[in-house]
Amino acid sequence: MTFTRPLAFRIPPFRPVDGPHYIPPMFALLKLIQSIIKTLHSDGTPGQVAAGMALGAVLGLTPLMNVHNLIVISLIVLLNVSFGGAMLGWALFVPVGFLLDPLFHSVGLQLLEAPSLRRLWTDWYNTPLIPYTNFNNTVVLGSVVGWLAMAVPIFFAARWGVARYRATIGARVQQSKFYKAITASKAYNVYRLFKPE
Amino acid sequence: MAVKIFRWKAIGPLALLLVIIGVLLWLFAEPVAKDTSEEVGTELLGTQVDIGKLDIIADEASVDLRALQIADPFNPNKNLVEASEIRLKLNPTALAEKKFVVENFRLSGMRFGTDRKTPARPVEGDGFAPQALRSVRQWSQQFDVPILKLTPIDTIKQLVLNPTQLTTVQSAQALAARADSARRALDQSFQQLDVKGTVDTARTLVERLRTTNPRQLGLDGTRQAIEDARATLERLKDAKKRVETLERQVKGGVGALASGLETLDEARRKDYAFAKSLLQLPSFSAPEIGEAFFGRVSIDRFQQALYYTELARHYMPPGLLPREDPGSQRLRASGKSIRFPKERAWPKFLVQLGQMDLAIGGDSPLRGAYEAAVQGLTSDPWLYGKPTVVRTSRTAEGSAIASIDVRAVIDHVRPDRVKDSASARLRGVKLPSFTVPGLPFQLRPGTGSADLTFALRNEELSGRWSIGSSQVTWALDSTGKKLNDLEQLVWRVVSGLKELSVDARVSGPLRSPKLAVSSNLDRAIAQRLEAVIGEEVAKAEKMVRAKVDSLVAAKVEPVKRQVSEVRTQAEQRLAVERNRVDDVEKQLQAELKRLTGGLVPEIKLPKIGL
Repeated sequence: MTFTRPLAFRIPPFRPVDGPHYIPPMFALLKLIQSIIKTLHSDGTPGQVAAGMALGAVLGLTPLMNVHNLIVISLIVLLNVSFGGAMLGWALFVPVGFLLDPLFHSVGLQLLEAPSLRRLWTDWYNTPLIPYTNFNNTVVLGSVVGWLAMAVPIFFAARWGVARYRATIGARVQQSKFYKAITASKAYNVYRLFKPE
Repeated sequence: MAVKIFRWKAIGPLALLLVIIGVLLWLFAEPVAKDTSEEVGTELLGTQVDIGKLDIIADEASVDLRALQIADPFNPNKNLVEASEIRLKLNPTALAEKKFVVENFRLSGMRFGTDRKTPARPVEGDGFAPQALRSVRQWSQQFDVPILKLTPIDTIKQLVLNPTQLTTVQSAQALAARADSARRALDQSFQQLDVKGTVDTARTLVERLRTTNPRQLGLDGTRQAIEDARATLERLKDAKKRVETLERQVKGGVGALASGLETLDEARRKDYAFAKSLLQLPSFSAPEIGEAFFGRVSIDRFQQALYYTELARHYMPPGLLPREDPGSQRLRASGKSIRFPKERAWPKFLVQLGQMDLAIGGDSPLRGAYEAAVQGLTSDPWLYGKPTVVRTSRTAEGSAIASIDVRAVIDHVRPDRVKDSASARLRGVKLPSFTVPGLPFQLRPGTGSADLTFALRNEELSGRWSIGSSQVTWALDSTGKKLNDLEQLVWRVVSGLKELSVDARVSGPLRSPKLAVSSNLDRAIAQRLEAVIGEEVAKAEKMVRAKVDSLVAAKVEPVKRQVSEVRTQAEQRLAVERNRVDDVEKQLQAELKRLTGGLVPEIKLPKIGL
C-alpha cells in the first residue's frame, strides 16, 4: 500500500524571501479575488456557491472573534458548500456589517430587554459555556439574529445571481486576460481541497 | 449525480485548525490575560493599573499576579497600592459560566502610597471612572472656600462699583417689569369682569319694581316680576363670584410682588458681600480663617472618599435587575453587554475572602504586625446577601508608623438601604506638608495622627477628617516675597504654635453638602487680627454698605412705590366693584320681599350667599 499525503499537507519548500516565486502578503487580496472568480465560474453548483455565501455572510455581519463563528467556519469546511462562495460572502458582508451595527445594536437591545425573554436570557447567562458566546452583547445578538433573518434571502439571491452570471457574461470573463492572469497562480492549490464535489 | 452533504476529507484540516487555535490560546493566554486585566482594571478604577507578570496555573485554577501597581487617581506620581505578589484561587464552576469568583487570595509585599518611577497616564474617555472623577472634582468645586486676604487696610482707597454688577439693581429692574406686567394683567381682568352691565340691569329692574304695585299687577304680572327679580339675582350672584375670583388673583399677584420685594433685601446682603470682596478686606472670623487654612485640603480628602464610594455604587448595584455594561472594545461597534443575575447563582465577580496576616520584624521601618481582610467584594451584593467588609490594621509601637486601622463596610444588599461607610485611624504617621492657600506659608505638621470617617446613606453624606500633631513647624514660601504688616502679624501668631488640631466636617445632602472646619489656629489668628485691624475693617465695611445703599436706593425705592401702587389700586377697584354688586343686590332683595309679601308660600326666594 502506498501512502499518499493529502494535498493539504503538501507544504511548499522553503523559498528565500527575495526569490522569484515568493508571494508578498499584498497578494493575499489577489488570491481571494482568484478564488472568488473561480468560484463564480466552475466551483460547484449555484446552490453550493449560494449556500457558501449565506454561511460566509455571518462572518462579515457579526463580530468575528466569537464562538459562533468558529462553529460557522467548521460548517463551511465540513459541509459540501463552496468555500470560495463563503469567502465571497464574508468579503461582501463585512462592510454591510459595519454599516448595520447601529441597527444590530438596536435589535439586540430590544431582544435583551424584552420582559418576555428575560427568563430565557437569565437561564442562558447562568448556564456553563453559553456566556462565552457573548449572546448578551447587543451587537452580537442583533447581528446573529439579523443574519438568521437574511440567510435565506441571501441564499436565493446568490443562487439566482450566480446562475445568471454563468449564463450571461461568465464565458466572456473566462476568456479575458484578467481572468487568465488571475487563475495562473498555483499558490492556491490548497483552496482546491475545499472545492465542492 | 447526487451532491454529497459532508466533505469528510476536510475533517483533518479542520482538526488541525482547531489544534492551532488551541496552541495559540495556550501560547498567548497569559500575555492576553495580562493586557486585558490591565486594560479592564484601568478602565474600572479610572487610574493606571500595571501588572508585571501574570501566570495562569490551570491545574490549580489559580492566577498569579506579580508586581501589581495601582496608581493614585488623584496623584499620578504616587501608587495607591503596590503588591509584589497576589495569588488568586478561582472557582472553576463559576469560571465555566464566565464568572470570576475568587475563593481566596494570598497577598504579599503590599505597600501604600509609594512613589512611581513614571507618572501614571491620565485615564480619559467616556468610561464610568473618568466620568466619576470629573464629577467628584466638580462636586469639590461647589464649596465656597474663602481665601484669607491679608491686604493692608491702608491700601484701601476707594470703592468703584458698577451698578449693573449689583444683584439688587438687576432684581429691582426685573421686579419693576413684573409689576408693570401685573398692572396690565389686572386692568385686563377688571375690563373682562363685566360687572357694570349686570349692575345697571339690576338697578333698572329695581327702579321699575319700585313704581309697581302688586295689587295692580295681578297674579301673573307679580309672578313675572318675581321671576325677573330672581333671574337678575342669579346674574348678580355670578358677577359676585367673578369679583371673588379676581380678588384671589389680585392677592396672588400682589403676594408675588411682595415676596419679590423681600428678595431685594437678600440681594442687597449679597451685594454687600460682593462689594466687600472687591475691597479684599481681611477677615477675622474664626470659622472663615479655619476654612481658608484647611478647607481645600479637607475637601480633597472627602472627594477621594466620595470617588471610591461612587465607584462602589456603580459597580456594586443593589437588587437583581439586569444591568448594562459597555461591550468590549473592538473594531466593530462595542454595543452593550447585559448581565442577568439570578438567585442562587454565582455573581459576575466575587471575592469571597481575601486575607493577609503577616509580621515584619527587625529594625525595618515597616516592622509590625499586619492584618488585612476583604470579604464579599462582589458585583452583585444582593446575590451574596451580606455587605462587603474591608479591614486593614497594623500595629508597631515605636516604628515610623505606629498604627493603621482602616475599616469599610459597603452595604448594597437592599436597594432601599444603600449605605457606605469607611473609617481610617492612623497614629504616629508622618503627615504631609501643605501650603496655606493665598498666603506664602507652608505648614509641616510632622508626625501626628489622622482620622477620617466617611458615610453615605442613600444620598445623605457625613464625613469627618481630623489631624493632630504636636511637632508642627512652619516655613515661609521660598520665593522670598516680603510680607506685609498683616502677613507678618499672622506669621508671628502661627510660627509660635507647635501644636495643631484640625477638625473638618462635611454633612448634608450629597448635592449640596455643608463644610465646617475648625482648628486651634482660628481663634488665635482671629483674636490677633481683630485687635489690630478690627476698627479699620469695621469702617471699611460701613463705607461698603453706604456705597451699595446709595447705588441701590435709586432703583429700589421706585419699585417699592410701584408695587405699593399696584396693590392699592387693585384693592380699591375691587372694593368699588364689590360694593356696587352688594348695594344693588340688597335693593333687589328688598323689592322682592315687598312683591312676595302676600303671595302663596310655594314661591321660594333664591338664597344668595353674601
